[in-house]
Amino acid sequence: MIEVQQLTKHYRVHKRPPGLAAALKSLFKREYTAVKAVDGITFDIKAGERVGFLGPNGAGKTTTLKTLAGLLHPSSGQVRVDGHVPQKREAEYLKKIMLVMGQKQQLLWDLPPAETFEMNRAIYDVPRADFTRRMKELGDLLELGELVNKPTRQLSLGERMKCELAAALVHGPKVLFLDEPTIGLDVSMQVVMRDFIRRYNEQYGATLILTSHYMDDVAALCPRVIVIDKGTLSFDGKLDDLVQKVRPEKRVTLRFSQPVTREQVSPLGQVVTCEGAQAVLQVSHDQVNSVVGRALATLPVMDLNVENPPLEEVMSELFARSRANREEQAA
Amino acid sequence: MGRYLGLLSRQLRTSALLAAQYRWDFVVDGVVSLFFMATAIVPLFVVYGDASRPGIPGWSFGEALVVTGWFILLQGVLDGAVNPGLQAVIDHIRKGTLDFVLLKPADAQFLVSTARFQLWRVTSVVVALVVFVIAFSRVGRAPAVLDVAASLVLLVSATLLLYSLWILIVSAAFFVVKVDNLTYLFSSIFDAARWPSSVFPNVLRFVFTFVVPLALMTTFPAEAMLGRLESSALVGSLLGTLVFAAIARWTWLKAIGHYTSAGG
Repeated sequence: MIEVQQLTKHYRVHKRPPGLAAALKSLFKREYTAVKAVDGITFDIKAGERVGFLGPNGAGKTTTLKTLAGLLHPSSGQVRVDGHVPQKREAEYLKKIMLVMGQKQQLLWDLPPAETFEMNRAIYDVPRADFTRRMKELGDLLELGELVNKPTRQLSLGERMKCELAAALVHGPKVLFLDEPTIGLDVSMQVVMRDFIRRYNEQYGATLILTSHYMDDVAALCPRVIVIDKGTLSFDGKLDDLVQKVRPEKRVTLRFSQPVTREQVSPLGQVVTCEGAQAVLQVSHDQVNSVVGRALATLPVMDLNVENPPLEEVMSELFARSRANREEQAA
Repeated sequence: MGRYLGLLSRQLRTSALLAAQYRWDFVVDGVVSLFFMATAIVPLFVVYGDASRPGIPGWSFGEALVVTGWFILLQGVLDGAVNPGLQAVIDHIRKGTLDFVLLKPADAQFLVSTARFQLWRVTSVVVALVVFVIAFSRVGRAPAVLDVAASLVLLVSATLLLYSLWILIVSAAFFVVKVDNLTYLFSSIFDAARWPSSVFPNVLRFVFTFVVPLALMTTFPAEAMLGRLESSALVGSLLGTLVFAAIARWTWLKAIGHYTSAGG
């Protein structure tokens, strides 16, 4: 469905040196530097897949997404989505895709969302019967109810985002590009959005690419992740494999019937925290069984829990490592 | 074509709904626009009020009033149909929401141009008609039917010209960062159209005819209405308008290309 080969996107940026004298000089003679927003990325995505783009700010996620949508022209490389070259922005292609950006909105601010839906129906040339059926389905899935008839400016951020999604789905797109769709939403609204996105994907077989800062979004929605860092692809595969690769250790949380000291716990493994009657250990994958056995035998354990380290930590470690690698190479 | 007419009526409906949302704005804007239309006439009284002054060579008071009528009419087109859309594009570029427009399977120029209308500016048409009636009663005769027809053709071409100028300005907004003042710039240049082009020195008259064709918008239609526009000038201005519109369209497409290959 989506094929990307050796995609690069370079910007020419005017170098702005500090100081008034330098600023005046730059009025006449400018120096430019090339910024490699995306620097040779290759991947394939099959129809119906849910893929998460991960990466720190400025990694090139949004640039890649916008290139796929046809908003940006690649500097070099090949991009094809369902047989189309996105940058040509053929009407036929645009009718197959949608883009939702959590920080920007297309809803008409002073009018109810229903007006934007109608406007999009006219623009996408959706037959009235299809439109009515689809809006009913979307209304049920997203629990829109009367929201669509209230002026957009009176809606909460979460309500607005739900309507924003509905507006982008009026034409029943096959490919969904979601750029930070849950940004700024509270936890319960994030869950609602995730459930909806997953159900939409399952019900209609739509392909979706998601970028998000909330690792929970990615964990809940995307079986496959692509990690982009400084414009290059540093991982492409299952989320679990990524965690295994970066942090092969598991987290063992122990709760005791009475307070224990750090010295009592430390023989078992690396202590992450030890406060009062609770301790968290970091233990390598193959050691988990023996550590749990020893803990039960030697300490007053009431309850225990084994899990992967938090995704946020995994990611920050991954990015820290690649930064260190780069610095090493540069040196 | 039918689809675009449907889209246009949808956009007009949206503008009507927006106007209805803010009823007091409607009233205030109406009063303000009447005030501005009145001020459009005042300078003429300054020039012609004192019999000892020569007035504008070649233009009697009544004839100059015809130009003012056209100025009011075109000002109405500018404020009612052209400027609101210009503002909408500038807002889109600033907020980065132009992306949504570019991803729609319809011509982006059409979508942004028809996004906003200030419908109550229709009042300008009424005021302009009143000014025409006063003007021709001063002139002492009614305009000939053919002359009115010619001036209506020029109205269409003037609107197209105004719109093309607008597209050129919007295209500039893709290249320069600070674009908020462009609408003011446009309005203040347009202000020169209130005078018959012959009041300007030769250089400016040339500029206002061929570079920023203000003369084609108000002086030419007024002359057509008065029955003294050469038919060659009529044909020339129509052709000129088409060339101008083609240049504007070409520049717009270039600007969009620039936006998509550079924007972040």
